[in-house]
This record gives sequence, C-alpha cells and structure tokens, in this order.
Amino acid sequence: MSSTAESVGHMDVFAELKKILAELLDIEDREITPETLLIQDLGAESIDLLELAVTVNSRFKIAVRDDEIFLTRFRLYSTEAKQEGKDTVHYIAGKYPFLGEDRIAEIMAHIKEGPQLKIKDLISYVAYRSQGV
Amino acid sequence: MSRHFSGNRALVLGGTCELALALAHSMIGSDLFPILTYRDDKGLNAIRESLRPFHGRYETCYLNFGDHASLDSIFTQIGDDLHFLVDFAQGNYESFVAGADEDSVYNYFMENISFRAAILKRAGRAMLKKRRGRLVFISSAAAARPNPGQGFYAAAKLASEALYRNMGLELGERGVTTVILRPGYIEAGRGRIYLQGQDRKILEMVPIRRAITGEEISQTILFLLSDGASAINATEISMDGGLTSGK
Repeated sequence: MSSTAESVGHMDVFAELKKILAELLDIEDREITPETLLIQDLGAESIDLLELAVTVNSRFKIAVRDDEIFLTRFRLYSTEAKQEGKDTVHYIAGKYPFLGEDRIAEIMAHIKEGPQLKIKDLISYVAYRSQGV
Repeated sequence: MSRHFSGNRALVLGGTCELALALAHSMIGSDLFPILTYRDDKGLNAIRESLRPFHGRYETCYLNFGDHASLDSIFTQIGDDLHFLVDFAQGNYESFVAGADEDSVYNYFMENISFRAAILKRAGRAMLKKRRGRLVFISSAAAARPNPGQGFYAAAKLASEALYRNMGLELGERGVTTVILRPGYIEAGRGRIYLQGQDRKILEMVPIRRAITGEEISQTILFLLSDGASAINATEISMDGGLTSGK
C-alpha cells in the first residue's frame, strides 16, 4: 500500500472484516492476517460466503456482487483470455479492477493449489466499492 | 389458538387478492404486521377498503412483476426489517401448449419465474442478515395435476416451487426456511369463479366433497408462519381435500 491514507483506510476495513469473520465463522481464537486464505485457511463454505457478502454490504454500505468479491469467475476469465489470445493478467485486471496486476499474477501462480481468495482481496474490494464504483 | 411468531413484519406478494386480504385480517388479529403489494390503484383501493378499520396496522407498497424499479423501491421502503414473506402473486396464462403465443410465453415466464427469483434473492439476503425468516409460497394443486390449458400456469408454479424449495435447502441452517402450500379448489377469488363455471359438480371428485374456504387457507398459512411449523422446511403440502391423492 503506497499512501498513508490508503493504509489507514485499509486498516479500518481489515479490523472490521476480522470482526465479521470471527462472528460468521466462529473462529475468534484464530489469527487472521491480510494473507489468510478465506477458503483454505478459514474453511469458509458457500453459505458462509453468501452471508459474508450480505454482511459486507450491510456493514460497509456498499454494493456487493458476489461473483466479483469472491473472484468466482477467475478461472473462467483466465480460460477466456487464453482462447481469445489475450494477455491473461491484463484481461483479468479488466474484469476485477480492484485487484492489482501483481496480485493477479500471484493468484495465477498458486491457483492449482486451490481457491486463492485472501483477506487482502476483500479489503481491496471494499476500498474499491467505497469509492462509489 | 394461540401461536408464537418469531417476528411480525410480513411481506404479502399479490396482496390485493381475496385470499391475501383474508390473511391480512388474520395476521392483524395475531399482532403481525402485513405489508401488502399492489400493482394498480384498483388494487390499492381494494386493500384500503378491506382493511379500513386497521389503519396503522399494515402497510402497502407498489410491486409490478417484471418491473425491477418497483422491486428496488420495495426493499428501500421496508429495508431489512422483514421476518415473513407470503407469496400469492401469480399471473394467469391459459393456452394449449401447441397453441401458445411465443412472446406471451416468454413474458409470462420472465414475470412469474425470473422476477420471482429476483424477489427471493432480495428477501433471502434481508432475512440472512438476521439469520431468521420464513417464506410461504402459495402454489396450486394444478402444479401437480393441471387441466388442459394450464400447462404454462403449472410450469410457472413448479419452477417457483423449486426456487422456494432450494432457498429452504440453502439457507435453512441459517434460520431462513420455506414451505409451499398447494391448495385445491378454493371458495374464493379465481377459484370461486371457476367453481361457478363448473356448476360445482367438479367437487364430487374431491374426497371431502367441498371446496376449501379462504378462512381455512388463512389459518393454515398462519400456522405455517408460526414457530410450531418451523421444522416444515423446503417441502410442499397439499391442501386439497384429498383431490390429488386418488384418481
């Protein structure tokens, strides 16, 4: 995170997300960092993600599209880019403007290990939507 | 009979039909707060006329199936403060399958299935926030046993039943449950008109030899909304006097 303003904003969102996740997943004793994987580390299931989307919408007063915030179509977009002969990272960045290209490349490098959605991706999404996008 | 309800605000879709108005009376009598939808001034006036003695104990809101702006407006008006939903809304389109107008079929399914799915999404998410909610879909015995000409009506009812059933499957563990009621011949609304047209002989096919009354439907819905019925989830119940159990 480059600027102080961004960092402070993200810290608030992070603290709130930790609180939400602790309540939803009943994991108050678990350490959560921006690098924590939502599905693999915290064991979030589909119903948890739905409830998380609803709670994020309500708590941050932002519009939430479930397929965006949870990167549901990441693999599909990756396939589309390849089929259309486009640069995959650039193509996915167009679909998920809240993710930096570095982060997209990082996800692609690990995607075979399972769902790569991290807490920091949720933070990015909330920040992006908070700008009224 | 005294019943306990977890919550009091109930959105009643298709709130201008005779059965919905009868239910609204029963709900108010049980200290529930119905929010009745209407789609034109005639419907709004019918609600006001029927519930005249109960000023301040109910609300109305405009909802036209197919009009997404009206859906947005409803959830802006009622917010997340929603505990129950009872769905009477159903357009009618009678035609032989081989004789149907294709555009009419497309619009009919869009309004009666796709739009209903959009309503269910909104209601389900509002209820999920509180981890509590109960939805009752009023289907029809015709969903299981349609007459010739009722193919589209039955298809829309069955598809809508599937949406409600899945909502109960998906959100049941978070306190949001659903149930589907399939009334048979009813002595109210469209059912009464149909029975008059049939010279009532059709009731001889019903094991209890009579139509279901609006009051019976209201009382059953109230029971289905009550805490005592909360284990009845993601399933359909026939209320047709036994009509569809035999042949």
